[in-house]
Amino acid sequence: MSDRTGDRLSPNPRERINRGKTIEFSFDGKTVSAFEGDTIGSALHASGQRVLSRSFKYHRPRGLMCCAGQCPNCLVEVDGWPGVRACTEPVRPGMKVGHMNARPSLDFDVMRATDIFGTRFTPPGFYYKTFIRPRRLWPLYEKVLRGAAGLGVLPKRQKHREWRTEYRRRHADVLVIGGGVAGMAAALRAAEMGADVVLVDDGPELGGTQLAGEGAESAGSLADRVHASGVEVLSPGAALGFFDGIVPVWCGSTLHQIRADRHIAATGSIEQPLVFEGNDLPGVMLCAGAERLASLYGVRPGRRAVIATTTDRGLETAMALQAAGVEIAAVADSRREGNADPATKERLEDARVDLLTETTVVGAFGRRQVKGAVLAALDERGQPNPDTERGIDCDLIAVSGGTIPATSLLLQAGAKSRWDEQRGAFVPDSAPEGIHAAGAVAGHEDPAVAEASGAVAGAEAALELELGDEEDRSTLEADREALAGGRVVAAPQAVPSPMPGAGKRDKCFACLCEDVTTKDLTYSIEEGYDSIELSKRYTTVTMGPCQGRMCQLPSIRQMARDTDTPVSEVGITAARPPWSTVPMGVLAGRPFEPAKRSAVHGRHRELGGNVMWAGDWRRPYDYGDPRAETMAVHEGAGLIDVSTLGKLMVRGPDAGEFLNRLYPNRFDNLKPGRVRYGVLGDDAGRITDDGTLCRLDDDTFYVTTTSSGADAVESWFSWWLAEWELDVHLTDVSQGISAFNLAGPKAREILSGLTDLDCSNEGFAYLDGKRAHVAGVPCLMLRIGFVGELGYELHCPGPLAQELWDSLMKAGEPRGLRPFGLEPQRVLRLQKLHILVGQDTDAESNPFEAAMPWIVKLDKEEDFIGRWALENVQARGDESKLVGFTMDNGAVPQEGSVVVDGKDTAIGLVTSSRFSPLLERTIGMAWVPIDLAEDGTAIDISDEGRRMGAKVHLAPFYDPDQEKLRG
Amino acid sequence: MLDIFRKRRMWRKTQELKDHYDVVIIGGGSHGLATAYYLARDHGVTDVCILEKSYIGSGAAGRNTTILRSNYKTPEGARFYDASVKLYEGLSAELNFNLLFSQEGHLTLAHTDRAMFVMTERAEVNRLQGIDSKVIGPDEVARLAPAMSLEPDAVHPVMGALYHPPGGIIRHDAVVWGLARGADRGGAEIHPYREVAGIERDNGRATGVTLADGRRIGAGHVVSATAGWSSTIAGMAGLELPITTHILQAMVTEPLKPLLDIVIVSSQMHVYISQTDRGEFLIGAEIEPWTTYRQQGTLNFIQEASRHTLELFPQLERARILRSWAGLCDISPDYSPILGETEVDGFSVSAGWGTYGFKAAPIVGRTMAELVATGKTPELIQPFALERFYRDRLVSELGAAAVSH
Repeated sequence: MSDRTGDRLSPNPRERINRGKTIEFSFDGKTVSAFEGDTIGSALHASGQRVLSRSFKYHRPRGLMCCAGQCPNCLVEVDGWPGVRACTEPVRPGMKVGHMNARPSLDFDVMRATDIFGTRFTPPGFYYKTFIRPRRLWPLYEKVLRGAAGLGVLPKRQKHREWRTEYRRRHADVLVIGGGVAGMAAALRAAEMGADVVLVDDGPELGGTQLAGEGAESAGSLADRVHASGVEVLSPGAALGFFDGIVPVWCGSTLHQIRADRHIAATGSIEQPLVFEGNDLPGVMLCAGAERLASLYGVRPGRRAVIATTTDRGLETAMALQAAGVEIAAVADSRREGNADPATKERLEDARVDLLTETTVVGAFGRRQVKGAVLAALDERGQPNPDTERGIDCDLIAVSGGTIPATSLLLQAGAKSRWDEQRGAFVPDSAPEGIHAAGAVAGHEDPAVAEASGAVAGAEAALELELGDEEDRSTLEADREALAGGRVVAAPQAVPSPMPGAGKRDKCFACLCEDVTTKDLTYSIEEGYDSIELSKRYTTVTMGPCQGRMCQLPSIRQMARDTDTPVSEVGITAARPPWSTVPMGVLAGRPFEPAKRSAVHGRHRELGGNVMWAGDWRRPYDYGDPRAETMAVHEGAGLIDVSTLGKLMVRGPDAGEFLNRLYPNRFDNLKPGRVRYGVLGDDAGRITDDGTLCRLDDDTFYVTTTSSGADAVESWFSWWLAEWELDVHLTDVSQGISAFNLAGPKAREILSGLTDLDCSNEGFAYLDGKRAHVAGVPCLMLRIGFVGELGYELHCPGPLAQELWDSLMKAGEPRGLRPFGLEPQRVLRLQKLHILVGQDTDAESNPFEAAMPWIVKLDKEEDFIGRWALENVQARGDESKLVGFTMDNGAVPQEGSVVVDGKDTAIGLVTSSRFSPLLERTIGMAWVPIDLAEDGTAIDISDEGRRMGAKVHLAPFYDPDQEKLRG
Repeated sequence: MLDIFRKRRMWRKTQELKDHYDVVIIGGGSHGLATAYYLARDHGVTDVCILEKSYIGSGAAGRNTTILRSNYKTPEGARFYDASVKLYEGLSAELNFNLLFSQEGHLTLAHTDRAMFVMTERAEVNRLQGIDSKVIGPDEVARLAPAMSLEPDAVHPVMGALYHPPGGIIRHDAVVWGLARGADRGGAEIHPYREVAGIERDNGRATGVTLADGRRIGAGHVVSATAGWSSTIAGMAGLELPITTHILQAMVTEPLKPLLDIVIVSSQMHVYISQTDRGEFLIGAEIEPWTTYRQQGTLNFIQEASRHTLELFPQLERARILRSWAGLCDISPDYSPILGETEVDGFSVSAGWGTYGFKAAPIVGRTMAELVATGKTPELIQPFALERFYRDRLVSELGAAAVSH
């Protein structure tokens, strides 16, 4: 036995530690030695460090209790990660472990004063009753309260995520949750019958509770068979919840999303603590916790133990601890004489352990850890009799208040629960179809019976999937018989509650996470919070990190007693996922929102493009001189990369009809080789997107959308295609096709030098769409004019885009061609009053009021999306209008400034505004009430409170007769 | 001072139900309780019964993310919510119950220039209403939320924000309990675990309700304040509300030491984040697009909300999620409430609250109480009448932002 690795028991065959290998880590700066296989908790306990944390409210010392990751007592910080459970976290060389929530140190915490002096000033909900007046001081009080709350500390700043996690999707026939004997038997049986099985267990090795006890060996051989059977074992892995058939399982840096056809919950049971004075002192442990510590890690849980139990579990623990070398001072069994299992009792007698029946523990004493226990006899009503109290020196109180089935996952999956008086617990009642329960969660505590129940569940699941044969059916029958005849583990009879008035000497905790005492619960009930849900929210009982594992039943029992209501009527609170706490880094997976760049992005950089975000895209805002770029488009030519547009191929005999139904205007009569503008709307007639559509041939349309709306339009089209079942194929070609807009009076000259196509105004007219090679690159060319000058939009395959761009730039150079960015484009299109959907329109804009009444063809014979709404809008008449405006002075109001009336109420909105270098004045677009939508009407604009005058201007500011576009 | 610590019942034990009340309020959440409270406080109407199908505050009042603000997009909305925030400011003292209202400020982040444009509009509308609301740049954002990562190369860079200093968070359950106590002291009867199954009508007028157990209760006036179930309840009165019901989800982390003392909303990433007085990070998203009454959370929500939270607060990758939940939201076509009288006489509704009902609780209580007591619709809520949908006179908050918290 190494001194450095602390107080260890003699080696036993079940232990998980490798005594041949020592590992060092630090705790609060001090070096601690451990064996390989230790957990942080076992190593610290062995080293004599009994206090591992300070409690949430009263800062009371807390130490190991469950040794199974269930309770909140051992939460520590590991390498900067708060909230790690020391009792299950394996030690790694060099890890830095520190305490949370104690200042200046774990051993001396000044905030403990709240426990010693402040309790009467801090009843449940005290903050609701204090600091009300004066109101201006509340922020100050609040700061103090906030500073006192919270456990873990996170870095004040962090630039990026440091942890890369992954999602993995896994489909399986059967998912078994829980790797105890029941879960293993279920997984094995289902796999033997041919099912693809995944088994999840939260421990480092399969076997569950059996690993710490006499069943370890047979559990081990079962585990070997499971591993050999082809079952995929995820261990240690935490099943986080049940989400409509998907069970997320957290293993290390991976979040497995498992969708299985059948589920088997073998989630076991949770040992319950007892509620008595000082029941949170380090040294008060659950029986199973003490056993695990001794058996798996060879750590002495204490030197002299008092055991308090309501079932045979405590008797087993007494014998196990004694065998491991712990002196047993007394065993207090709350049951009457004769209720213990006779064989167990006989073994206990052989071991010369003193058994006190109808006795329970009513108090633990000691300052920082247990120094002794107070026992008392129970009266006929099962209440402790104060006159019979006696103290016993000990440094360990191992308690067991029976077990409750771990039903959370089942309940999340839709199972109902009911109160089982005999078992003294809420048990799963009916499970939804396809979900089976096996082992302790289903009431089968005895290992042999649990194993049989697992085999039954595994076979039933496999048979439901039509796997297995006659032999499997007969095996199932045999297993069912074994199950029916199996030993039923005696349930606890009434669990003693603390006697009324308990809590005088020290607090009795119903909830360890939140420091809620039994007195607090009584207090809240007397105040009127007399349903379990109200009490939960008021006292915060069950709302801490243990997720109610340790405190739900005790608080329900107390609610029942205090309100004189049957436990079954008190009911349980909702089981909310996740079942185990999980870092957000795990849930977040790997971020996948890559920035999008066009095929010629490199060229934009080389040309000095001022690249900025535009939705998901990175686009050149300008190339250094937006004014010159604007003028180049008017005077010579400009080239802009519009590859960001969404592009859809709509193909099939019904393509025309499909588009006719989607758009308010007509497309079935569009001639092949022609282009038409389209505005998409929703059912309410509101504008959602716009773009140009080119009919390539009778059956094929090439549809462009806005850059930001590409995905939404694709979904919208797909949705309606599925709804209407038309003979149309939809292909999203956005990513594969690049597009450039060549615009300006010299555009034709530049283009004709690069193509054999007749580019004359007769050969290639406005709104024609033509396919031809340009500089050897196959292109679809649309003659359209978003920016208001003669223009061609050239669409080509992405891989050839750079060649096209380079050729255009080269051919254009002698003719004054300049690349232009988004900013010049915005000015140019504003001169034409061309809208930007989402900027000039919002979710309530319709085409009539957006000044495009001509696009709504209510004379179309077929119905189209939004028709009914648009008919109503037309009948109602316009209430507001999107108009152009010019400013009286040179100011440029911010986009988002509002149009106001004489009473300073917002009545309209400035959606676009720019200074036009060509027109040498400020122009813009705004929504105004219909009575102001007259040419020349004066309107008032308020920009950060400053008033400015403007005049409504209805026609396009530039080339209102479209001569430039059509010329 | 120590009187505060004397144990007193918050409300009376549940009384015997009578056969008739002047006013029957369906729904024991923040709106129903506030209506009862103001009926007694402002109008002396005390023969009031609140019927709640579960425990008080079990619906939206107990499931929301506790954010209060008034920086709405429409003048009608901004005015209304401003009145609500002002009532909330005085409510702790008035109810003598600390509702833990932290007016720590509210930031709506803009990640695109288009979002900046919407923020500019909202700020301007708010300013004209006398509401403290302004657009700020990234430097100011960094000063207000130093824990947030403002890397310019982020997928969603922060270009600025709409800053609303009076916004903040409040303890939602405390609002319910404080109002319940106020209503109870005013004389109203609170009846939890009483589910309404029908609304009785006579000649176009609501005359009472039928409970799930068959019991009939007469009423001079019936008020529905049932959030997620408002269209179901209205249906019992033969009224079809233009409402769809969706779930909205939220989650909290384990309590951590203070890191964030301002509400952060990102419309584009559909996430909003605050840190409670207990130290938990409270994170919510937008409503789910499908309609349902099944209040079951989704895996997608906790994954997406985590990912988006970490875009802004990478250090929270270490924070553990403790709990997630879902609640019901009744969405109207224009994202504004449906408030006041209906074509069924004696049946008024507080509905269509989507994701912003809790913010309006006191002003709804006060205006509904006035409506019930005087028969006149207060001017403040006239724009929200159900009738607006028949006349296409919407009060559209739709364009404001996808996430409306």
